[in-house]
Amino acid sequence: MLQSKSFVKKTKQGRVVKVVREHYLRDDIYCGALSCKVCDTSAARLTSSASTILIVDTNVVLHQIDLLENPAIDDVVVLSVVLEEVRNKNLSVYNRVKALCTNSLRKFFVFSNEHHRDTYVKEMVGESPNDRNDRAIRVAARWYQSHLGGSTQVLLITNDRENKRKAIEEGLSAETVESYVKSLGQPNLLDLVSLPTSEDVGMEEVEDLRPSKRKVIYNEHKPMSEITSGLLRGIYHQGKLRVNRYNPFEAYVGSESIGDEIVIHGRANMNRAFDGDIVAVELLPQDQWHEEKSSIIADDEDDEEEDVHLVPSSADDAPRNTNLVQPAAASTASTSSRPAGRVVGIIKRNWHSYCGSLEPMPMPAGNGGIAHALFVSKDRRFPKIRIQTRQLENLLDKRIVVAVDSWDCLSRYPSGHYVRTIGKIGDRDTESEVLLIENDINSRPFSAQVLACLPHLPWTLSSEVLANPNRQDLRHLRVFSVDPPGCKDIDDALHCTSLPNGNFEVGVHIADVTNFVLPGTPLDEEASQRGTSVYLVERRIDMLPKPLTEDICSLRSDVERLAFSVIWEMTSEAEIISTRYTKSVIKSCAALSYVEAQARMDDSRLMDSLTTDLRNLNSLAKVMRHRRIERGALTLASAEVKFQIDTETHDPLDIGMYQIREANQMIEEFMLAANVSVAEKILKHFPLCSLLRRHPTPTKEMLEPLLRTAAAIGLDLDISSSKALADSLDHAVGDDPYFNKLIRILATRCMTQAVYFCSGDLSPSEYHHYGLAAPLYTHFTSPIRRYADVIVHRLLAAALGIAKLPPIFMDGLQLTSIADNLNYRHRNAQMASRASVELHTLIYFRKRPTDTEARIVKIKSNGFIVFIPKFGIEGPVYLMPRGDKGGDWVVDEVHQKVMRTGTNISYGILQTVRIHMEVVEPQPNRPKLELTLT
Amino acid sequence: MEYVNPLTGFRLDGRRPNEMRQIRGEIGVVAKADGSALFEMGNTKVIAAVYGPREVQNKGQQINNRALVRCEYSMANFSTGDRRRRPKGDRRSTEISLVIRQTMEACILTHLLPHSQIDIFVQVLQADGGTRSACINAATLALADAGIPMRDIVTSCSAGYLCSTPLLDLNYIEDSAGGPDVTVGMLAKMDKVTLLQMDAKLPMDIFENVMQLAIEGCKAVAHYIREVLLEHTKQLECHRGA
Amino acid sequence: MRDLQLPLNQTQRVRLQAALQQLQDLASQASASSLVTVADTIPVNNEDGILKGHGTSELDGQVVATLCGVVERVNKLVYVRSLRARYKPEVGDIIVGRVIEIAPKRWRLEINFSQDAVLMLSSMNLPDGIQRRRTAVDELNMRSIFEENDVVCAEVRGFQHDGSLHLQARSQKYGKLERGQLLTVPAYLVKRRKQHFHRLEQYCVDLILGCNGFIWVGEHLETGENDMLEDREKRPEISKTNMIHEEQERTFTPLEVRRHICRIANAVRLLSALGFILTVESIIDTVEASASSNIEIKDMLGPEFYVQTVEREVQRRILLSRKKG
Repeated sequence: MLQSKSFVKKTKQGRVVKVVREHYLRDDIYCGALSCKVCDTSAARLTSSASTILIVDTNVVLHQIDLLENPAIDDVVVLSVVLEEVRNKNLSVYNRVKALCTNSLRKFFVFSNEHHRDTYVKEMVGESPNDRNDRAIRVAARWYQSHLGGSTQVLLITNDRENKRKAIEEGLSAETVESYVKSLGQPNLLDLVSLPTSEDVGMEEVEDLRPSKRKVIYNEHKPMSEITSGLLRGIYHQGKLRVNRYNPFEAYVGSESIGDEIVIHGRANMNRAFDGDIVAVELLPQDQWHEEKSSIIADDEDDEEEDVHLVPSSADDAPRNTNLVQPAAASTASTSSRPAGRVVGIIKRNWHSYCGSLEPMPMPAGNGGIAHALFVSKDRRFPKIRIQTRQLENLLDKRIVVAVDSWDCLSRYPSGHYVRTIGKIGDRDTESEVLLIENDINSRPFSAQVLACLPHLPWTLSSEVLANPNRQDLRHLRVFSVDPPGCKDIDDALHCTSLPNGNFEVGVHIADVTNFVLPGTPLDEEASQRGTSVYLVERRIDMLPKPLTEDICSLRSDVERLAFSVIWEMTSEAEIISTRYTKSVIKSCAALSYVEAQARMDDSRLMDSLTTDLRNLNSLAKVMRHRRIERGALTLASAEVKFQIDTETHDPLDIGMYQIREANQMIEEFMLAANVSVAEKILKHFPLCSLLRRHPTPTKEMLEPLLRTAAAIGLDLDISSSKALADSLDHAVGDDPYFNKLIRILATRCMTQAVYFCSGDLSPSEYHHYGLAAPLYTHFTSPIRRYADVIVHRLLAAALGIAKLPPIFMDGLQLTSIADNLNYRHRNAQMASRASVELHTLIYFRKRPTDTEARIVKIKSNGFIVFIPKFGIEGPVYLMPRGDKGGDWVVDEVHQKVMRTGTNISYGILQTVRIHMEVVEPQPNRPKLELTLT
Repeated sequence: MEYVNPLTGFRLDGRRPNEMRQIRGEIGVVAKADGSALFEMGNTKVIAAVYGPREVQNKGQQINNRALVRCEYSMANFSTGDRRRRPKGDRRSTEISLVIRQTMEACILTHLLPHSQIDIFVQVLQADGGTRSACINAATLALADAGIPMRDIVTSCSAGYLCSTPLLDLNYIEDSAGGPDVTVGMLAKMDKVTLLQMDAKLPMDIFENVMQLAIEGCKAVAHYIREVLLEHTKQLECHRGA
Repeated sequence: MRDLQLPLNQTQRVRLQAALQQLQDLASQASASSLVTVADTIPVNNEDGILKGHGTSELDGQVVATLCGVVERVNKLVYVRSLRARYKPEVGDIIVGRVIEIAPKRWRLEINFSQDAVLMLSSMNLPDGIQRRRTAVDELNMRSIFEENDVVCAEVRGFQHDGSLHLQARSQKYGKLERGQLLTVPAYLVKRRKQHFHRLEQYCVDLILGCNGFIWVGEHLETGENDMLEDREKRPEISKTNMIHEEQERTFTPLEVRRHICRIANAVRLLSALGFILTVESIIDTVEASASSNIEIKDMLGPEFYVQTVEREVQRRILLSRKKG
């Protein structure tokens, strides 16, 4: 039977349109209980012996999702009306519910009550949509009760007072979440129940921690209608809130309507907005735009600290500019260029769960074991969260995960609930897991479905594969690979043959991962989600299952393997004459490490063919590198450190800078060349749907700190083009040998990250890669650890006509979202790596206070930031005790020096100082590395 | 936007991917015309009127051995959500008129009616996706009502591909999703396709699936149309009496 | 005209449904199995050397219908009789048409056919009744005989080479029709009979049932319509020529006659809307029934009389079938 839904809608232009939609009612929707005699049970999920079946309300799903994910709650019927409402309100909760319903282990059944003939509810005149939905839920619950008969009890779980009352009046059983969980008799479940907000069961049941502070702390958020009208009129501006990682009381809202970023200073102005929320901002009057940070921080509970951290490798990781030299003198009331504002309303919340630990506090006396504690998130951008827990003494020294529920304007901190414990603070595994969670890295083992996609082990080369005309047999070539020591996932190998006409045939062979990872399979979906392998100090989190990464795809020596090859014919001056691409079978004859390869090349006594090949490649690589630098490629220095890990305890034994040898550079050159060749080929065939990589040119603003530093020491840098910058960097030679490297390190932090993008989204002039000075670039050479390379492999195979392009490439929007996901995962993997290195640094120095040399890289009003080259870390050194403002030290901005008045003791930028490093614990369970002047 | 709910398998209006909307056909709605019909597919309502065979109005266009088939498609001002005046000769109308004319011309036995003209007027009263198909179905009914000899019943149905599923009989919301839209018109009994149109791009193997689904939809519509015609004929015959 | 959209109240609806159902039952005993729609196969015994007539075609050795209608078999001929199609002319049919165009030496008439019919000047009696060769002056004076939009009654003489009809109106009973109403009904409701001209004495009304579905109901005019009657002698004072209008106009049609004309016309409309075959008897029956039930002329097309007519028809057919069976 056909019903029609008609409603009146207002379009964006403001016209009023009547919308009429069909709504079909069916009689083939089944109840989902295995024990039901009437219905078709082929898709049933609810257990046959269940005594109680739960039907959940929308608000229960939205707020208590953590409780629902707990295996103790089962046999739940999710109505389609509830699912729709959840989807409209909160997409992440919806995805979680979807995962629960599709998970075959959990007994969650989706019942389409909106389309079932008996449970369809038509809106009555004067009924609000919410009331109608509540009525639909009650009707469905009643239907279930009458359908399943007396053997099972149908229980409606709702926190809404009205709904519960009406349900009980109609003869249904209804309970609130708390009473149901209490009846289950599992006390630890109660912790997962989130605190009710004032709409639900009355606030009287919740005690506020500090009753004396019941005054309104924050401004009320403006209602949505006012916000939309304000946005239209231009008095409010919409944008995403980004909290400064190093100063949680400063935030930026990127607004298109202003064209610049709006600065939000202080907690009151941030008005309960979180990092990542979409907010509506009102500009403050112009005279309030430049605020000094000293006048804002009224509380002494929280104030900003600078921590010791790794040298940032790009502008994304570096602290924002405004934390720089702030002269204490009030005369500098010169208007800062950025407009300031305050948040008036939140358009879309971006709440999720956070890792951290509880603030130390004394155990409360009575209160039935329920304690109110403050949770401090590890990520400094988020405020403290108030939770209730029964297990306070248990949790005080643990890292836990907490989710946010609400933030009243009466309460200083948001309220949340405990989700789960990770482990003890300071314990290396716990901390590793914390940084994985913070960076949204999936480290769970691969599911059975994914593992089912792997080929049979042990894998051998079969004759059908050889017989494929698209696959060339290159087993006769002398192929070898050069990788870091102990590397098991070898994804690239090379060969170099001298041709009779004096030219060389050079080939780069990349592991043929797409032969095993087919599009659309669970293996492919999982790899696409993960995006990249994550390299922590002590372990690696793989994108693909181990059998593939270390055995089947890895181009190990002395075994036949499948590969995708790029073969050039080039002159001895590395001019490329021709390029060809083919799938192939190779047999690597040697898997060398960088050290081994270098040793071979250096040892003049060795004259065998493998060494000759290496030397030829090396000379070609040198020519290629020289040409690249001529074109303007930048050589930036990385301050990467390497740990030596004890094999038993997995504790770091030694820490040192990563050594770059000629062999590294050789491999790098050929990988770059292969990437560029492949980029050209796929762009030619698929101009609109290729996945490429670009590096945007840094703007003048981004390079400003570098210029300022250079000017302070009398160095002239030309930043008009990448070539000019590269030349200037080459000429920046100082007295000590480390000077040049330091300048390069400073330059590195001004660059943005390179990103993946879909070629259909940008114009060809924007494809440029600034750092490599290449007009086109992509990633092709590491499909085992990067999903972008898997995509490029598929594009290349389609370009060669070997395989069909999967349909996902037709969808531009999906490709863009894949590229965005890859960029997101790449960034997260990098941050996780860095966090892992920082963690191990901390562990290393815990028992080893050290004295060492350091170079000053930034001047501040109360001290300076130093860079320690031996360990590759940087951190603050304070000249006066914390909390002291002003005093004897004065900053000279032009010369970038800080000096003590009355003396001639000064510290200038890039000066060498000696410092002492030690791990201290100013607060229990919060170790940090401290640097002091010796 | 989830056009096919992954958890329940239903579309936005509660149909399964291979289900058509409710169809209804009525004959004899325009008194003045020789043959007329009203055809509804879900909320799409189309009225068709056939005049003919009659004297050719424009002697220059007269064909000596065949009938001249003319077709005009128009949408009423009130057929969509916002009332809009549509110019008579705009591109879309001309294209659809041409399409319907070619489809019907393929099935009318024009050589039996030389020197005459058959006019088919189709107007959309309510547009909710699939107007082209509804027009062809209505025109078939009207032609049969007018007693014009035809080779076979021409029916038409559309199908699309959204959320990786072939969907039969798209409505307006699904049509506006931007996915591919395949319209198939075929002679039901003879199993011959006379109209095949598609927007957007589809890989070949998926296209075959979608087209097959549309063909099955056409056959279902043909079954219904045949019943309507039979019922109508029976009624006329029994009223007429001996 | 097609179905009248009538506002029936509940009892009328019920009665109508019952009556229609009875009609269906009666009919279904007769010829239900031979109904076909387009593209249905007609069951045929192939060895008999069947002739495939109108409305059929051959497909893969099977006989397939191209029209919706009833299959008729006459000896070896199989054809499909369609219901609502246009008029199918045969030589000798009496038809009524409307003049559309005056062409050189001919008039073109619209009849309910796929092409317009042609009435040659030479097939028409001249006003002065003399049989002579048509001159150019005659041609110029064609308009004085018939103009555009005049209603003309004629007889089919034959087919032209392009399929259109050739008419002739030589006799007195053919010619221009005045003082009446022209009604269009579907052509299949008028069966071919011996008589198409009917004079209804009691109403002073002439009724012409054209085979093409055009029906003329008009005031009985002595000069012209019916030469079967002897009235001619009775009224010698009236002008002999039946084509001159001026004298006629002096006498207006009396009100009573007009009423009768309307009543008969409504009866025709009602019967055609119901889809019943039009015969003089049924028309007269309907008119008498309406008069006896004191139904106003305008109410004849109303719901009550509609339902009554159906019921009466049912009774009539039941009687007929009883007589047969």
